[in-house]
Amino acid sequence: MSVDPINLSIIYITSFILLIIGYSTAISSKDIVRLLISLELMFGAVFLTLIPLFSNLSETAFGITLVAIFTSSAELLVLIAAIILFDRKHKDLSTGLIDVGGDRV
Amino acid sequence: MTEETLLLGILAVVTIIFATGVLLVRDNFFAAMYMSATLIMVATISAFFGIEPAFVLIVFIFVGAIGVVTVALASTYREHSENGNSWKMWLIPAIVTAGVIAISLYTTLGRVPVGRTIAFELASFLSNPEYILLVISLTALGILLMFSVLKMIGGADECQ
Repeated sequence: MSVDPINLSIIYITSFILLIIGYSTAISSKDIVRLLISLELMFGAVFLTLIPLFSNLSETAFGITLVAIFTSSAELLVLIAAIILFDRKHKDLSTGLIDVGGDRV
Repeated sequence: MTEETLLLGILAVVTIIFATGVLLVRDNFFAAMYMSATLIMVATISAFFGIEPAFVLIVFIFVGAIGVVTVALASTYREHSENGNSWKMWLIPAIVTAGVIAISLYTTLGRVPVGRTIAFELASFLSNPEYILLVISLTALGILLMFSVLKMIGGADECQ
């Protein structure tokens, strides 16, 4: 299967739409579990953008894919542990409970 | 437009439909299910271009491990009460999936040569320094991850 300009456009447009849906889900999420789901969706968009790289640098692209999959999985596992700890402390998973972080001007 | 481009377009549309389900559905459990289906479709697009290792990594590591944990988490912390008849909705897709797997197995098993030996040897795999570096890096990542999770929870005593 060759990566011609039409296929390339389909891949990038799909990836862009997935990323936008992930962002929209993250912005509209009211609990942390939905935030986790939106993050996984955005990682899916990233995996999709790696496909055209295989046409030129296949071994490098596979190395990048391997590292991306394992690091994102580790990152999401830490987030899952943080969600469980957050629930243990607050007995709730609403994003409204998170009032720390960001700049205080 | 070739047949391959048309098929890729159909896969892309199905992927976007599943992703839209994540955005629109209110129940976290179904959102997690739609997210898993979206990632499986992303892996299918990789397999469509002949990148089967990426398909295996995404489906087994990302969907099989992280996705299932997310589905379990979403099922535990779901906002709405479970409908008693909701399992019947999954009956038709389950039957269709079982049918597709049965047909694909029936059509592919006839092409597998009988008596073929597996040529994989662990010694030849471990003799490659690049693979060794990869295994060490991923092991170190796993250990660091476990340490960070243990520190977040509060030590090994609370894990017992």
